[in-house]
Amino acid sequence: MSIDKRELTPGDPVLAQHTARRPAPGTRGLRAVAARLPLLLSAAVLAFFVLAALLPNVLAPFDPLAINPADAFSPPGAAHLLGTDESGRDIYSRIIHGSRPSLLIGAAATAIGLGLALLLGTIAGFGGKWLDFGVGRILEVLFALPGLLLALVFIALAGPGVGTTVVAVGLTTAPGYARMIRAQIIALRTSPMVEAATVLGRSRAKILATHILPNALAPIAVLGTLGLGQAVVWAASLSFLGLGSPPPAPEWGAMLSAGRTYLALAWWMTFFPGLAIVLVAAASTVLSRALKTAGAR
Amino acid sequence: MLAGGRSTRVAGAAARRVLGKIGGGLFVLWAVATAIFFGIRMIPGDPAEAIMGGPGSQASAEALAQARADYGLDAPLYVQYFSQLWRLATGDLGTSYSLKTPVAEVLGELVPPTLVLAVLALLVAWALALVVAVLSTRSGALGSALASGLEIVSAAVPHFWLASVLIMLFATALGWLPPVSTNAPAGLVLPVATLALPLAGFLGQVMRDTLETAHRSPFALSARARGESETGVLLRHSLRHAALPGIALSGWAFGSLLSGAVVVESIFARPGLGRSLLSAVSARDIPMVTGVALLSAGAYVVIMAFSDLAERLADPRMAAA
Amino acid sequence: MNNVRPLTRRLFPAAFGLAAALVLAGCAPATTAPESGNDAGTPVAGGTLVYASGDAEPSCLDPHVGGNYPQALVSSQYLETLYTKDAKGNLVPWLAEDSTVSQDGLTRTVEIRQGIKFTDGTALDAAAVKANFEHLLDPKTASSTGYLALGKIDSMKALDAATLELKLKSPDNSLLESFSMPWVAIESPTALKRSQEENCAAPVGTGPFKVESWKKQDAVNLVRNEDYVQPVATDGHEGAAYLEGITWRFIPEAATRYAALQAGEVQVIDNAQPDTIAAAAKSQGIKHLDAPRPGASNRIELNSSKAPFNDSKVREAFIHAVNVDAGIDSLFFGTAPRSHSPLSSVEPLAYSAETLFAYDPAKAGELLDAAGWTERDPEGYRTKDGERLSLVFPVSTSQSIPAEQSLFEQLQATAKESGIEIKINLLDLSSWYGELFKNDYNLVSAPYTKVGPSVLSILFHSDSTIPAPSGYFANLSQVKDPALDELLDAAGSTADEAERKDKYAQAQKLVLEGHYLLPLYDQQNHFLYSEKLRNVGATTAVATPTFFDTWLAK
Repeated sequence: MSIDKRELTPGDPVLAQHTARRPAPGTRGLRAVAARLPLLLSAAVLAFFVLAALLPNVLAPFDPLAINPADAFSPPGAAHLLGTDESGRDIYSRIIHGSRPSLLIGAAATAIGLGLALLLGTIAGFGGKWLDFGVGRILEVLFALPGLLLALVFIALAGPGVGTTVVAVGLTTAPGYARMIRAQIIALRTSPMVEAATVLGRSRAKILATHILPNALAPIAVLGTLGLGQAVVWAASLSFLGLGSPPPAPEWGAMLSAGRTYLALAWWMTFFPGLAIVLVAAASTVLSRALKTAGAR
Repeated sequence: MLAGGRSTRVAGAAARRVLGKIGGGLFVLWAVATAIFFGIRMIPGDPAEAIMGGPGSQASAEALAQARADYGLDAPLYVQYFSQLWRLATGDLGTSYSLKTPVAEVLGELVPPTLVLAVLALLVAWALALVVAVLSTRSGALGSALASGLEIVSAAVPHFWLASVLIMLFATALGWLPPVSTNAPAGLVLPVATLALPLAGFLGQVMRDTLETAHRSPFALSARARGESETGVLLRHSLRHAALPGIALSGWAFGSLLSGAVVVESIFARPGLGRSLLSAVSARDIPMVTGVALLSAGAYVVIMAFSDLAERLADPRMAAA
Repeated sequence: MNNVRPLTRRLFPAAFGLAAALVLAGCAPATTAPESGNDAGTPVAGGTLVYASGDAEPSCLDPHVGGNYPQALVSSQYLETLYTKDAKGNLVPWLAEDSTVSQDGLTRTVEIRQGIKFTDGTALDAAAVKANFEHLLDPKTASSTGYLALGKIDSMKALDAATLELKLKSPDNSLLESFSMPWVAIESPTALKRSQEENCAAPVGTGPFKVESWKKQDAVNLVRNEDYVQPVATDGHEGAAYLEGITWRFIPEAATRYAALQAGEVQVIDNAQPDTIAAAAKSQGIKHLDAPRPGASNRIELNSSKAPFNDSKVREAFIHAVNVDAGIDSLFFGTAPRSHSPLSSVEPLAYSAETLFAYDPAKAGELLDAAGWTERDPEGYRTKDGERLSLVFPVSTSQSIPAEQSLFEQLQATAKESGIEIKINLLDLSSWYGELFKNDYNLVSAPYTKVGPSVLSILFHSDSTIPAPSGYFANLSQVKDPALDELLDAAGSTADEAERKDKYAQAQKLVLEGHYLLPLYDQQNHFLYSEKLRNVGATTAVATPTFFDTWLAK
């Protein structure tokens, strides 16, 4: 199930993760383990944060909202693993409790982006020449606008908040996905399987439902995994610009945004939430590449 | 695809192609202008307020009426829209609501610093990605895995976090570089690095994958068989293949650099388009937002055309496509 | 595929060459270094001061237009006012010589100092001042702060070169205080005749510096006014300023700003955050200037126009339910003493009532029980008739510094213990005003800077609940009390200083005891500066620093 690369190249932000790589044949023993290490680590990282999102109270030793002004700005140590913030709240506990909102924002934004992309991509890939042309032009326009401009205008329009952030991030990531999905569908449409079905006189709708969409959905799992990490980064960037979750929610971007004022005094307030974002984004990239490789095999 | 005797056919196709590109570019600009015009007007708030200094001002009703008349905001929406399009078509970007200066003049001041930042970041990212790709291809599986990890992590780093970490490290702790952007070259190092590192991660992933594939491909083998050195094969054959997706990505990269510039210019206190975009949106400065959007869309169109061209140059297979 | 030689070889030299050219084009000669000797205490002339402001860059350098604090900060370097405050805080004439008011308080005569020239050569006289006032009152100028300050002026007449006569609609005993504000500063009438665009780019005044150029988003470049003469001799030196010029930069990120000061890239920063002030106190080479702003204190207003704060018991309960002192202690590192007054501590007529603001959750509980908020919902919040006791608190990210936002979060946490929910919404300025105009708030914190106690009328008179066409209104607690209006009117128009003081005290007592506001601290106005900079500390009546006597040691 390979994707026509030529269809993808022009300005595709997610292409990067889609050039399939297989481990070179003949790697064994230690090398095989070493080759799998990134994947194992990534799986562990994601499992940890998903667990944190599901059962934060199991992993977090403190209440993420409980203030204790006397304990403010404690550096990382035995009492507080990753230190405390300006109100004496435990950073580690806040990162754990922040997993749920942060990952949910990322997941919801990715879902919106992919949903929109699936719609546009299907129309373009299966709707005939003119629809393809029209959608192509729409995508071109969306690509031509810097993502942040789109997000900023949308947030100014709808007012800041979690819901707005989710939609804004979804909107800015949709064109990239749409381009991928369109290419995938076109590749499938010209595949022998579909051609055979056409010859047999199946209706377009039926072909779409039985042959094309199910096969196009597999790469969407790859895209979704990848997009999750990217959406978390995007949402954090909007939080940084003061357009994210309202306080006192321990959302990672909001934590970072609050921490950067105290950079000189308490680096741990900025460093650790940022690390959580980087870990999730990197791990989801590795995982999506592995999924892709598995799919290609 | 490789058919010969094709000069007239190719010339005709090329002309059609160029016309198509120009038409497509104009369409994109029109659509962007239209989307911004209607999109920003749906934002709650009276544009006349924005002209009179924002909602905190206590402009009188007469002053607001005056502003509406001065900026043509008292006409029906469709009249405003078409007159706006006409003005844009004649090259008039209008006057900024908050700065009371022609938008073209403001953009003229702000484009060079952003362009310097973006172009340098793009070049540095390209160079870094190439160097890492080349070195890792030559150093076996372990080096490749290491490089891959490095690229994935750096592509995952948010700009604002990287900027904070770099300031903490190189300005405050070590004192090597100025924390704010200055006119001296040293002042550009941190902003450029902030923009370039994540981008290098993205480009590197693509390039190394293609490079490794190309390096194992039949033509590389045959070149080796002909007695070319490893370096020769790398430079003459593999690298060119690796550059292809990188070039294709450059259009996208430039757009993402503009988004990144918003954050970087704010943190390092650099004048530029990104910072003005942020303040223009929050001040509801419609002409400024339109100007910045059109400019970046225009830049995107031009860069896409160039990267298309560069791709054709780098990959002869596509010349006839 | 061999017809094209390696792309890299052809593309790269050109690209690098271009980049190098761009970098070189961006280079400018370094700023001039101080010229001569540096005896520890002997001032040396020369050198350029780099000032880094954390405020938004003004869209107009003429503080007549609009009128906000960032404009006041920068324009205090090149514009001067009719009156000012001396080092002891007394109101003294500056560009004016003297002023008298008629028995009925309706005619004010201002004597203008003679022999002073604007930096464009125009002479300062009564007609020039009249032109400035007319500029401020002209709707086209879109003045907000200055317009409001001169609102009582009905007509004016230049009797001779040195005398300006103002006819007032009603007596206004705060007019001289208003004259001391940079938003009513005096500019060259010749320059005011230019287009607003030109005047905004380079206003012309009488100050020790003048605007040379303004590169948007980069810096305002000020150069020394070589012909400067101080209108009134002070303890400092005579003649032109020591500094050759000031580069006024805008660095919005607090952490970057402080890092730039540490690195010596800039010599003064404003909006210094509490934690960096504390850090600077321990470090060598950085000094601190604390200049609380006049006018109102920083306070949280309780919107009395709608439920639940239309019930005075709930307002009182809220005030006792939040632990302000603990938050200020931990977040402000001793840089912000607690206030218990609607007015800034620099206002001589400020009235304080400390006993009203104790943190007392038990009392808050009793009051809420008495007000009928007796039930609790599963999350622990109090309810009444099935409604949760929930307060909406829009916070402007540009008006509340991060430490203040953190303080609000701590208030949120302590209020929760008493069963009160506070919903904090962080908003940009436009959206924040939008929420206020829609009356979509229960709590709000909005700074207001003005010289003198007349700010009380702006904030608490029922007239101030009537919105301007933009929707703006200043009375955010929306107190409407005829007795209070009467006190404020009387206090603002009396010619008797003792009566003024007494009436303003009564008015303050009334709003404090009515639980309409929760005072926090003075409007914070902290500057950090390099110890190489000597003689820093002079400020205007609105606490903006001036650098006439300042010099840069080697």
